[in-house]
Amino acid sequence: MNRILALGSLVAMAAALPLAAQTTAASKNTAAAGKAFSAPKTAWGDPDLQGTWTSDDTWGVPMARPKQYGDRLYLTEDELTAREKQVKASEQRIVNPSNDNHSPALRQLEAEESGKEAPAAQGAFGRGVDAAPVPGQFGEYARRASKQTSQVIWPADGQVPPMTEEARKMQAAAAATRNRTPSTWTDWSIYDRCITRGVAGSIIPVIYGNGLEIVQTPGYVAIRYEMVHDARIIPTDGRAHLPSSIRSYMGDPVGHWEGNTLVVETTNFNGRVGVGPNGGGTLSEDAKLIERFTRAADNTINYELTIDDPKTYTAEWKIGFPITHEPGYEIYEYACHEGNMAMRNMITGTAAVEKAAAEKKK
Amino acid sequence: MQKRFLGAFAAILALGALPAAAQTRTANLPAAVAGHPNLSGLWQSFGTADWDIQGHGAEPGPFYQLGAIGAVPPGIGIVEGEEIPYLPAALEQKKKNLANRWKEDPVIKCYMPGIPRANYMPFPFEIIESQKNILFAYEFGSENRVVNMGKPEEAVTDTWMGTSNGHWEGNTLVVDVTGFNGMAWFDRAGNFASDSLKVTERWSLLDANTLNYEATIEDPKTFSRPWKVNVILYRHREPGARLLEFKCVEFTEELIYGDLRRKVLGK
Repeated sequence: MNRILALGSLVAMAAALPLAAQTTAASKNTAAAGKAFSAPKTAWGDPDLQGTWTSDDTWGVPMARPKQYGDRLYLTEDELTAREKQVKASEQRIVNPSNDNHSPALRQLEAEESGKEAPAAQGAFGRGVDAAPVPGQFGEYARRASKQTSQVIWPADGQVPPMTEEARKMQAAAAATRNRTPSTWTDWSIYDRCITRGVAGSIIPVIYGNGLEIVQTPGYVAIRYEMVHDARIIPTDGRAHLPSSIRSYMGDPVGHWEGNTLVVETTNFNGRVGVGPNGGGTLSEDAKLIERFTRAADNTINYELTIDDPKTYTAEWKIGFPITHEPGYEIYEYACHEGNMAMRNMITGTAAVEKAAAEKKK
Repeated sequence: MQKRFLGAFAAILALGALPAAAQTRTANLPAAVAGHPNLSGLWQSFGTADWDIQGHGAEPGPFYQLGAIGAVPPGIGIVEGEEIPYLPAALEQKKKNLANRWKEDPVIKCYMPGIPRANYMPFPFEIIESQKNILFAYEFGSENRVVNMGKPEEAVTDTWMGTSNGHWEGNTLVVDVTGFNGMAWFDRAGNFASDSLKVTERWSLLDANTLNYEATIEDPKTFSRPWKVNVILYRHREPGARLLEFKCVEFTEELIYGDLRRKVLGK
């Protein structure tokens, strides 16, 4: 219910944005703007990262690089032109909801209900340049085409390094649990349960709710994320991490400034969230995440995340993408748990399916 | 020696010349942010207002197994003038809430506590005051809100924590909170308001480590007149003190979905 409400408002908001404002923002976001750019400072002299930001522009860029791009992090001009067309098309479905192709998912549902064959979804579930545009009903979409071939920026081949033997075993055990029918709440993900999306999962773009807000005061930077709602308080006064007895989902962040870059090191994890979208995947309790936030333009922060977790991955790796400020984009209250009717429905729904299956067998 | 004496004397004279209000402001306050008092820090209230915002004596708790640690501690209350001016129907509802408090207090389910309650729960919260907006990050449930210090914005939709617009009146931060969904309670005793609630908060430093909080409660559907709560907040000064994580959802799932385990899943 709350999710639906928020979605409705976002769609309305996106539609209300003047196109001119969007275009201006897009032209400012070119790499060239970074060269002459002088990063703004707060009243007390720290680089100023404040405002609302979103990772929407990286929507559709796969985490690991499709093999055809090899060691190439950026698209060619032709590839970029193709992706720009797709971004334009998905924007049209938001701005002009009467478009017949507004919602592939809705068409699918309607087809199922009418008993007819669903129209071909043109790679709706593919990723990257080959992917169909984002389903319009979710309200979030890339405003400008990302030049990147993958979210992974290191190692050079853009692939997530192999997992360690121990982590592979743990992952297989977890997958075995997942493969049986989920029956009780703990069978669903930390995200489904509205607990958190973790540090990485809170910024990696998903179908909606990619917004975050940065607020600073002398000695501190705070980042709050909209979806599921989290607020990280990051001291920049050089203090040590919490003792290892104190562990949590979001970990313990400490930060410092390197020139115009905010560097945040987070440790003290509880080993229950990963680095995938919405916090999926695996990280050990000993993981260390290092984030770098660098203001690159008035409307752009370059974000980089280093995953250092020798218990899980055989090498360090990095993801990176720009986050952008969009005029009119606001962070709303995301009362996820309070409105989590889905959990009751999923549990009772699963029970109903199991019962029906058992009766069929008789 | 003589010079020091003279210096001290001059300082006393200077202090004497300052207006009384300005004197309290000079006492080791943190450096101002953009000319305003800096309220940033980790704060928490003492007291038992979260049990009952009105004065109350000690009572047994709901679970005898918890003995003394589960009992309700006494408190002098935070309501100015003691009385909450409920309209008759609302008073009946409050009594019902009190009777069902161990089941129906939304905070038991880890639902958002709303305003003003988030400010006097037995959990700390961090204020991050920038030269623009001000973040309130609460340890309980990772709840948070940003006070918009720019042009006031109307609430886009009704929410648990409301929509906060702030401005400075001298050294006092005044925050108007509206757009509530009417689902939060003020305490574990069932005091409540409707979705017509408007809270006007006034935050001012008494000294570097003490923050005065006053909230005016207006809700014509529930109360016959506006009323106030007054709370004093204290700064956490322990070395290493910081906002920790209390994500309570997973502590409530058996309570919220446990009926399905028994009735539907038969487990």
